[in-house]
Amino acid sequence: MRGDGRGRKGTAGDGRGLGRLLRQIIGAPDYEAYLEHCRKAGHPPRLTEREFVEEFFASKGKGVRCC
Amino acid sequence: MPRLARGILWLAVAALGAVAFGILALVRGETVSAAWLVIAAVCTYAVAFRFYSRFIATRVFQLDPRRATPAERLSNGRDFVPTNKWVLFGHHFAAIAGAGPLVGPVLAAQFGFLPGTLWLVIGVVLGGAVQDFTILCCSVRRDGRSLGQMAREEINPVAGMTTMVAVLSIMIILLAVLALIVVNALKASPWGFFTIACTVPIALLMGWWMRVWRPGRVGEASGAGAVLLILALVGGGWVANHPIGAAFTYTGPALTWMIVGYGFIASVLPVWMLLAPRDYLSTFLKIATIVVLAVAILILLPPLRMPALTPFATLGEGPVFAGKIFPFAFITIACGAISGFHALVASGTTPKMLAHEPDARLIGYGGMLMESFVGVMAMIAACTLEPGVYFAMNTTPAALAGAADVLKTAGFVVTPVQMQALAAQMGETTLIARTGGAPSLAVGMAHIFAGVTGVLGGKAATALWYHFAIMFEALFILTTIDAGTRVGRFMLQEILGRVWPRFGETSWYPSIVLSSALVVAGWGYFLYQGVIDPLGGINSLWPLFGIANQLLALVALCVATTIMIKMGKQRYAWITVAPLAWLTAITMTAGWQKVFSADPKLGFLAHAASLAASADPRAPRLIFNDHLNTVMALGFMAVVALLIVVSLREWWLILSRRKAATLTETPFVESAYAR
Repeated sequence: MRGDGRGRKGTAGDGRGLGRLLRQIIGAPDYEAYLEHCRKAGHPPRLTEREFVEEFFASKGKGVRCC
Repeated sequence: MPRLARGILWLAVAALGAVAFGILALVRGETVSAAWLVIAAVCTYAVAFRFYSRFIATRVFQLDPRRATPAERLSNGRDFVPTNKWVLFGHHFAAIAGAGPLVGPVLAAQFGFLPGTLWLVIGVVLGGAVQDFTILCCSVRRDGRSLGQMAREEINPVAGMTTMVAVLSIMIILLAVLALIVVNALKASPWGFFTIACTVPIALLMGWWMRVWRPGRVGEASGAGAVLLILALVGGGWVANHPIGAAFTYTGPALTWMIVGYGFIASVLPVWMLLAPRDYLSTFLKIATIVVLAVAILILLPPLRMPALTPFATLGEGPVFAGKIFPFAFITIACGAISGFHALVASGTTPKMLAHEPDARLIGYGGMLMESFVGVMAMIAACTLEPGVYFAMNTTPAALAGAADVLKTAGFVVTPVQMQALAAQMGETTLIARTGGAPSLAVGMAHIFAGVTGVLGGKAATALWYHFAIMFEALFILTTIDAGTRVGRFMLQEILGRVWPRFGETSWYPSIVLSSALVVAGWGYFLYQGVIDPLGGINSLWPLFGIANQLLALVALCVATTIMIKMGKQRYAWITVAPLAWLTAITMTAGWQKVFSADPKLGFLAHAASLAASADPRAPRLIFNDHLNTVMALGFMAVVALLIVVSLREWWLILSRRKAATLTETPFVESAYAR
């Protein structure tokens, strides 16, 4: 998926794309997106996948779910 | 498409919607198909999205694809991530859609299907979607700032503090009323209780799976969780018919203590352990069920058995909740028409993920239209029930006896034998006085789902569908209770942290435990009073929740209006001022009537006075609760008045040039995507 948010939406024939699409919709941690961001920003990843997931879940607890 | 053809197409859509509204309005006693409700709603949404949201996007905010959004400028691969607009639409919708748009319309069905549907459709296009969209636009232009921050910076610190109080208050009432819905759905229901109890170990397993065993593999863990959930649902049926079922059968007060304990533990545990996995599970279930329900309704197009208007619309003596259409239809249905809570989401995660400014129209305005459609589906599900069944399920025996004459005259009667047969069909011992809306929605959904599986040649399995619907509702209500208690705890820590800085450290365990206990005690008390209330609890708590939710919408609309005036767009201020004026009228009228009405079924003070000479040992507690509810309602009204005054003052100062219109908008930066 392109970094501008206009990329492919994922199709049944593209399991990876579909998986990523679902992860984004439900707000699951997306380490690939983080790595992509680091590559574009020109710096190595500062977090391992495990650290990234832990930090992601910690911040998720501050989000609001509507009634 | 040529301009002329487009014009003809939109005229046809508008005409079709008008015809559908005409049929709904003119029907008198005949059975009407749900298709007309769907057509009226969809045509209105289409016209409003095409024209009104575009008008706001181009004339007021001038959304610019060349302007970089916070997701692009502050991209960090974590919370600031440019996201495909359809993905973000799904994400935003999952965050705003909860039990509110499902339960509110079911309760408002006591007036008939027409008032609630009109409010859902008209309220959303002129109010709810406008609020969500404008707040999203305002937040995107301010690096994704929250509603509270914008109120403080754009209006003044008093408005900022008012927002914080409003959010905390709504959180307490919201959690109490949602927990009450779950308690009423699960009491004396071993099948329901067993299924919901199983979701706790399932969530713990999922949490361990996606954090410890296979970090980040949410899909795998959710798949396993969904399979276990289905097993729990089927297992619940076995438990209910086995002697062991007695161990899963509880009264309302016992369930209250359990849910209070659950809320406390969920708030204290790390997010990954219970909240996050439950959230993923409920999100999957929520989206899937809503889609299936929509498809099922469109396939079956069931007839509406509830009339367009019931006698309670004008009498104001409804057994589900007291009060006339104005203002109580508009307080009862908040989510689905306009919900202040959405402003927190529209100024929370969503603005940090918006890739292009113009996408805000689809996500902010379009997302809320979708939630309204969920509300319309809930209204259809409730109105497909026989009115007698609907009132028997949603009313306490005392209230039912009080409304017996009106119900009999209107033909809304049901025999105990019929209710017993329905309960047996749903796998329950009784469905009488299952107040709160969730069980009657579940019966409506079960009939619809069973109708589809019957059409497809499968086994109807109505009892399984009923408990599936109960599980679906309870699962995301419990998720909201988890998340809401935690957010309330953070807010309390922030407020008390100003007095004692150590208390404000969100990772300091004594502070976590104490603040969680205080928040849980707050909503737990209101929950308990609802459970023991002879009128069923919903009668007093749901209007308070509606008032609190609309209060938050008032904050959001005041912020949006202030920003529009500061932008020099005061000639378009009516866009937000019109729903603001309407909300002020209904909030203040409802608050006044709930406190001062001479009818003991409606007014808290009159109810307390009616109990003064009572020999009932519960009377002192009930009187105290009435006085507490009075204080809450008056507090909400005072906050509304304060907010309106400070906002009007700010607008007058700016418009009369006594104060400079200082915007805190982030300066224009060209988007790399536009080059």
